[in-house]
Amino acid sequence: MPGPIDYSKITITPDFDTVEWWMATKEHKYLVRQCKDCGHKWFPPFPACNKCNAMDLGWFETAGTGVLHSYIVVTQPILGAFVEAVPYVVGLIELDDCHEADGSLVRVGGVMLDDEEDVAIGLPVKVEFEQTNEANIVVPRWKISGTAENTWKFNE
Amino acid sequence: MGALTDKYCIVGVGETPHMRPSNRTTLSMACEAVKKAMADAGLEPRDIDGMTSYQAGDSTTSNHIATSLGMRLNYSVDILGGGSSTEALIGNTIGLLEAGYCKTMLIFRSMNGRSGRRMGGQAPSGPVPPTRAAEDNQFMMPWGWTSPAQRFGMSAMRYLRDTGTTTRSLAEIAVAHRYHASLNPKAVMRHPITIEDHQNSRWVVKPLRLLDCCLETDVSACLIVTSRERAYDLRQPPVFIMGGTGRTMAPNAAWNYSRPEIHYVAGNYGRKRLFGMAGISQKDVNLISCYDAFTFTTLIQLEAYGFCGKGEAGEFVKGGRLQIDHELPSNLSGGHLSEGYTHGVSMVIENVRQLRHRADDACPGWAEGKHSYDRQAGCRQVKDARIAACLGWGTETMSSSAILRGIAA
Ligand SMILES: [Zn+2]
Repeated sequence: MPGPIDYSKITITPDFDTVEWWMATKEHKYLVRQCKDCGHKWFPPFPACNKCNAMDLGWFETAGTGVLHSYIVVTQPILGAFVEAVPYVVGLIELDDCHEADGSLVRVGGVMLDDEEDVAIGLPVKVEFEQTNEANIVVPRWKISGTAENTWKFNE
Repeated sequence: MGALTDKYCIVGVGETPHMRPSNRTTLSMACEAVKKAMADAGLEPRDIDGMTSYQAGDSTTSNHIATSLGMRLNYSVDILGGGSSTEALIGNTIGLLEAGYCKTMLIFRSMNGRSGRRMGGQAPSGPVPPTRAAEDNQFMMPWGWTSPAQRFGMSAMRYLRDTGTTTRSLAEIAVAHRYHASLNPKAVMRHPITIEDHQNSRWVVKPLRLLDCCLETDVSACLIVTSRERAYDLRQPPVFIMGGTGRTMAPNAAWNYSRPEIHYVAGNYGRKRLFGMAGISQKDVNLISCYDAFTFTTLIQLEAYGFCGKGEAGEFVKGGRLQIDHELPSNLSGGHLSEGYTHGVSMVIENVRQLRHRADDACPGWAEGKHSYDRQAGCRQVKDARIAACLGWGTETMSSSAILRGIAA
């Protein structure tokens, strides 16, 4: 498991479009935006539906599960918050329950709780919510939750 | 062909040395670059009546340069932007000249890219202190996913998986651009490297190693554009602008890559417009500048712009294909990987010099277009260079381009 992340060194600033999303993480809910008119889902929570342009929007509570679509392994910290965390894996997760008939899908990023050795593209993952050292901020992280066939691992 | 193909020309180029650090203001560096470009073109300050630039909140603006050098501009606009802005502003410039907003226009970038604001967000002294995660960055920064290497690494990793390409193909690009830098007296990194050197360099963010990443330098660089009619009377052989694209986007451009194929990048959406406007095909191109913020950005744009098939770039670059005297020489100055970092202007500048047949190399007669083509003796002029493609990269979902034609070869 990567080392601790010092969230006090990042000032997360929720805004008009995102404040409800950050409030939901405190209740351990992983939301994506959903259009009340056509049902389309997307993330990050941009303020209009990019299919029908409606701006009357709701939220869809995802199961917080997905498949690891890609990843990087950060070995050199850029942000002060991550100095103790390296090496850490950032995953790109394709959410299970946001696929639509026209092929549209939702992917989200996040810091994996797993080490590089345990991570492979194609593996199932599940969200876990981390209370940060900032009382008001809960951050979603991701963990490998099972096995799969035809996984792929960067091996150089 | 485009309505304005060949009607406007790049007539002057200039840049400061690449410095680490400059100990200068971006205004001071920009004035030097502008003076050099004017001298190159044979123009005076009174001849320049339009100016435009791009920056990331890290640069001086057109009005300060005009004031410093005694110019009175009829048009001036400074925009926000990074890589891929150069070619986009060439497009703006053509439109403004055609519409009569001004007659001769200058495009510049000036940045203390090493000693000032660094693109990766890292201060010169080390990892940065408290940082504000606002707007898109609310969903990047708390995941420790911020620098260009970290962002583009995500699509690079998936590309390796989907195509079976290995990082030895990335190494081919680092080796080719470094070889060209070895022939460029202006380049920061001039000692040739091998594929093994690349493979042995340290990780920055897997799958990218140190030698996959561009340099960071303090520099200013500029281009001057005017009409064909004026260009004929100026000091240098004109370089004609055949066509281009400006910040062409891929659909669903958010950083979270919610597109079916994350490495199907913006160039795929621009290439028909680019080659259609220029009225040529990829086979007519003698040399390219292919934006090398990272080796991967060069690799993926080769297929995006149709120089090879989808998923084939890893094979395409093998055997030194991107090196001078081979099929598709790329980034003849050494590019951002090995010459220095200008957010793209220097790549267009190098193509202009190549198309003039006046690459500023070790050949004593380069300024008169006399080259030996002897690489051992330090000549980096591409023989018979007539058409160059400039392939700019902003992100996976944003790209600009230009095709240039010379008449000096
Ligand atoms: Zn909708």
